[in-house]
Amino acid sequence: MTNEPRWHPDLLRRFVATPYIFRKYESAISVESNDLEIALGVRRSDVVERQGRRAGGLRCKLIRDMTGPADISEISIISNGTLQVLCLGRGTILIHDPERSELLGFIAPNVKAKELVSSLIPALLSHKAKNDLL
Amino acid sequence: MGRFSMRVVVDPSSTEAAGQPHFRGLHHVVTASFGNSNMFVFDILRRTLNAVVSGAVARDHLFWKEKLVPITLGVLGAAMGLVPVHCACLESKGDGLLIAGVSGAGKSTLSVALSEGGFNYVSDDWTYISQRHAGIVAHGTSAPVKLLPDAVKHFQGLQRHSLQTSMNGELAYEVDIAETFGAQVERECEPRWLVFLERTQHAGSEFTPMSSAEARSYLNSSVEKLPHQLSEAAAMRERTIECVSLLPCWRFRYGGIPQFAAKELREFVVNHQQEVYA
Repeated sequence: MTNEPRWHPDLLRRFVATPYIFRKYESAISVESNDLEIALGVRRSDVVERQGRRAGGLRCKLIRDMTGPADISEISIISNGTLQVLCLGRGTILIHDPERSELLGFIAPNVKAKELVSSLIPALLSHKAKNDLL
Repeated sequence: MGRFSMRVVVDPSSTEAAGQPHFRGLHHVVTASFGNSNMFVFDILRRTLNAVVSGAVARDHLFWKEKLVPITLGVLGAAMGLVPVHCACLESKGDGLLIAGVSGAGKSTLSVALSEGGFNYVSDDWTYISQRHAGIVAHGTSAPVKLLPDAVKHFQGLQRHSLQTSMNGELAYEVDIAETFGAQVERECEPRWLVFLERTQHAGSEFTPMSSAEARSYLNSSVEKLPHQLSEAAAMRERTIECVSLLPCWRFRYGGIPQFAAKELREFVVNHQQEVYA
């Protein structure tokens, strides 16, 4: 054993490679994903585009989580005035941090890219931040 | 040490108990769900925890004590000057002994054996290290001691407990060490030595010195890498791990029952205490 380790655990899956990267310079949007369909869908999304223009940019990092649970549930949104978090079951989690202009998320295997772009992201970005949890 | 804020909304109409945990993280945010009704969102940069839980989980005091508090320290500790290290920690006469070792090396069984042999118990698996003045302090949590099924051969007290599925899915005994074994529990201590545990097939024991580089490598490799959004926390963690790795460090190979290893370690500590205080 010498010097720094070459391997760390990644139980949270923070460091999943995201080879599909798109940038739209006019609206300062960047999209990173490990799933081409998701990356393309988010890049084309009007809702994301509008949010990017309104906020002066939006960095999106969305992971297709093939190892996550694919259970069915209602959508719920947790908001504390700073972060807004949308959950669909345990496997799909979207996080919007308006102060840092970031949209982060893990998408369960049973959620289609179309549903993510047309339903889940709009629900999260249109959610009005309130100073309590919903 | 830093503070964090926690806000919890309870849905009294939901009766869902805490299910198997599911953790994910990106950038500065970590989420933990325990079933569909119990969701925790950690914001490491802002040091906040927001949660929605069922009425059943809200009332489950063991869940908060044994699961959520240790998890919160593990996640938010990075921003609060608390560094998790994969070590058990025992204390004797004010001196802390950190016991490192890969999962399955026997840290927990040895912790129980040492607790029965006169040491005070701080932790059996993860210990949280903070820097105080010129030194370091080791902190335990309220997590239960986790013992694998074969531990019942060595500890009669386990016979009245049943096996449970632990957070990582393993079948194990998860018990309160004070209630089950009558151990004296200390919340914190100052570590003096770091011992790396290795089990062998042969009876007997052996202590050999270990370099701080080896210690640092092990400690670093047992913790999750932090993203660049948490670079300040990563730097603080590196400094703390450096301090831990500079402790006198030994490799302890042993074969035999945990009570034998505990006796050998006790002699080791007594001998080194005499050297320190001579």
